[in-house]
Amino acid sequence: MKSLLAALALTTALTLPGLAAARPVTLTTTLSSYGGDGAYLALYVTDPSGAYAGSLWMAGHKSKYYEHLNDWYRATGGDTAQVDGITGASVGAGRTLEITLDLADALFDAGYTLHIDAAVEDMRDSPNEVAVPLTTAGAGTPVQGRRYVASFAYDM
Amino acid sequence: MRKTLALLVASTALTATLGFAAWSMTRGPADAGSRPVAALSEDGTPALPLILISDDDDDDDDDNRKGFWRGHDDDDDDDCDDDDDDDEGGCRGGARNPAPAGSKLPPQNGLFGTGAPPQVQVN
Repeated sequence: MKSLLAALALTTALTLPGLAAARPVTLTTTLSSYGGDGAYLALYVTDPSGAYAGSLWMAGHKSKYYEHLNDWYRATGGDTAQVDGITGASVGAGRTLEITLDLADALFDAGYTLHIDAAVEDMRDSPNEVAVPLTTAGAGTPVQGRRYVASFAYDM
Repeated sequence: MRKTLALLVASTALTATLGFAAWSMTRGPADAGSRPVAALSEDGTPALPLILISDDDDDDDDDNRKGFWRGHDDDDDDDCDDDDDDDEGGCRGGARNPAPAGSKLPPQNGLFGTGAPPQVQVN
């Protein structure tokens, strides 16, 4: 009985920090009515030194277009393994993409920045369309993109 | 010993039965190889002519495009393995398309927790 209790206590102790170390975060990206085809979007994070830390989402399935997501492509070399399991369809003009991800707490208030690169067929590429520091205070505050993104916000 | 023997006999019989069934499934009708593809229908309906459809975009529309993604086709099929001559249309550097969300776990890049999988919707 004692060993069972000890095992339960141990598993609880091991599980709780894991649950607390991540939280669901909703990333909401609304595109402007730019009058073109669906946009490819790369959402990724850089660390406090500005180095690529990893990708959060890729909107657009065809890897042959990823070269137009300039900064993301430069950072990753177009490595599609970076976006395995986090890739969805491209997003039409005027539409809103809402993604809920289980993100590590360590990303917030630690100097990390979320970036969005955007590209649309027959239109200009837009690297670093959005760059927003990940802070708890900044949650829920919409920011405007440079060309295609009408607004972006993260909520947690 | 008897129990072992009985088990061996039973497993052999099961294997033989399954094996025979599988082998039978892989064999087509004896004369299937000699018939044209379009005439393989077994229900007696007249065979329809075989129509070959090319998915290559042979139109010249793309030639007039200016700027972004010039020369790429518009279709949504997964044409990563197309064999056309223009290198622009193929997969960049031979890269495959990524696994869509839901078919694989997110990458272990330290950004994600181990909890719920990504949820996405477009409004």
